[in-house]
Amino acid sequence: MKRLLFPLILFLLTILEGLALELLPPDLVMGNLLIVPHWVFAFLVYMAVFYDKDSTYHSVVYALLFGLLIDAVYTGILGVYMFSYALVIYIVHGMKKILHGNFYVLVLLGIVGIFLADLFIYFIYSSIGLVDMVFEDYIVHRMIPTILSNLVFILLLYPMTAKHLARWGREQLTGSSTL
Amino acid sequence: MQFFRNKRLFILLIGFIVLVSLIGYSLTDRDKLSTAEKFINDAVGWSQSIIHTPVTFITDIVTNIKDLKNTYDENQLLKEQLSQYKTLVYEVQEIEEENEELRDLIGITESARDYVPIQATVISRSPERWVEQVTINKGEQDGVRSNMVVITAEGMVGKVQSTSEFTSTLQLLTGFDQYNRISATISRDDENDIFGMIEGFDEETNSLIFRIIEESEKDLEEGELVVSSELGGEYPAGLPIGTVKEVVSDQYGLTRIAMVDPAADMYDFRNVIVVDRALAEPEESSDEEEEE
Repeated sequence: MKRLLFPLILFLLTILEGLALELLPPDLVMGNLLIVPHWVFAFLVYMAVFYDKDSTYHSVVYALLFGLLIDAVYTGILGVYMFSYALVIYIVHGMKKILHGNFYVLVLLGIVGIFLADLFIYFIYSSIGLVDMVFEDYIVHRMIPTILSNLVFILLLYPMTAKHLARWGREQLTGSSTL
Repeated sequence: MQFFRNKRLFILLIGFIVLVSLIGYSLTDRDKLSTAEKFINDAVGWSQSIIHTPVTFITDIVTNIKDLKNTYDENQLLKEQLSQYKTLVYEVQEIEEENEELRDLIGITESARDYVPIQATVISRSPERWVEQVTINKGEQDGVRSNMVVITAEGMVGKVQSTSEFTSTLQLLTGFDQYNRISATISRDDENDIFGMIEGFDEETNSLIFRIIEESEKDLEEGELVVSSELGGEYPAGLPIGTVKEVVSDQYGLTRIAMVDPAADMYDFRNVIVVDRALAEPEESSDEEEEE
């Protein structure tokens, strides 16, 4: 049951990302700001911080899978999200070993993670010539609004997920696989 | 230092190679998606359409309430316009009848303007804003093929980029580059139509770039209507694209570029029509056979 739950949640978030631009007010979408929802990534950060133990890498595997899914469904250029998400989640996982898994660490890692992931995406897209945007413009028009809006999502997600994930993480450790 | 043990570096390098090869694969000029991608797109598209229904229901209620507020003003305006349209409709009917009679007379049955409309609904929009992509709920089973033009009631919004069995992906006009061009024309009363290509979108001015092909000293004027042209071979003629906003020289000063204000709203549309050009059907199929 629990094993199915993570893919389901992540799949739901992937689908909701496609609807995100319709939910936002049109003024925001029409303007110069490029707000990109990284909800799947936000949930993966939660998994890396609260669910994964030091020796398990569930979040990285899910990052690979759902990054590829986002690539296939929404951009058609395979590998970009897959690579950036997986690498950054791996870095987040590594940083979590040094820090404790609490609320402030989560927010910090969320911000750093989205910063890095979006930066990787920018570099890959500009190196293949898909994006032609000056770095300063990118920071002002895309990076900052994206981090802020995803931070809101991370904060909204906290009361719903943190405790559950931590509990499931402990159960995973003790080996009781049935919920 | 534990951080960069050999194994990790090795995995990173392999990951990088996989990334480059995947990107290389997706950037090759492929007309059709692989079977796996089609399957994924269909599966995701199916669940998207399920989730999309309640979401649109709620957003519709919100927009309806907003609309109610300015109903009175709109009503006044529409009444005025309606009276103008009535005379126009009568004229158009006469002209259409006359056109048909004349066509019968010289034995032309098909026109470059004819097309078969395929109604579709938008089910998702790419969250990656650099890739202007929209998914609709009609696919190959409904007759959608890649490169078909997609319009809304106001005008052209884009073209079909790739299809799977039950969904297909559109590329919006705002995401066009030099590889995705649409031939367009500005029609004039006399024979001096102006031809050109819509070949990109300028983010700063929010306008389409219309490059004028012909050496033309004919001056463009602001507010002239740019419509699609049948000369591209793939699209029916006469679909409105936008109105001319400004005429400038290109960066080399050789050709003239018109900045075109798109007729359709690129951000706020939900129902689209995929245009299946009726005339080109036999040509297209033979082309495909040749390619294979």
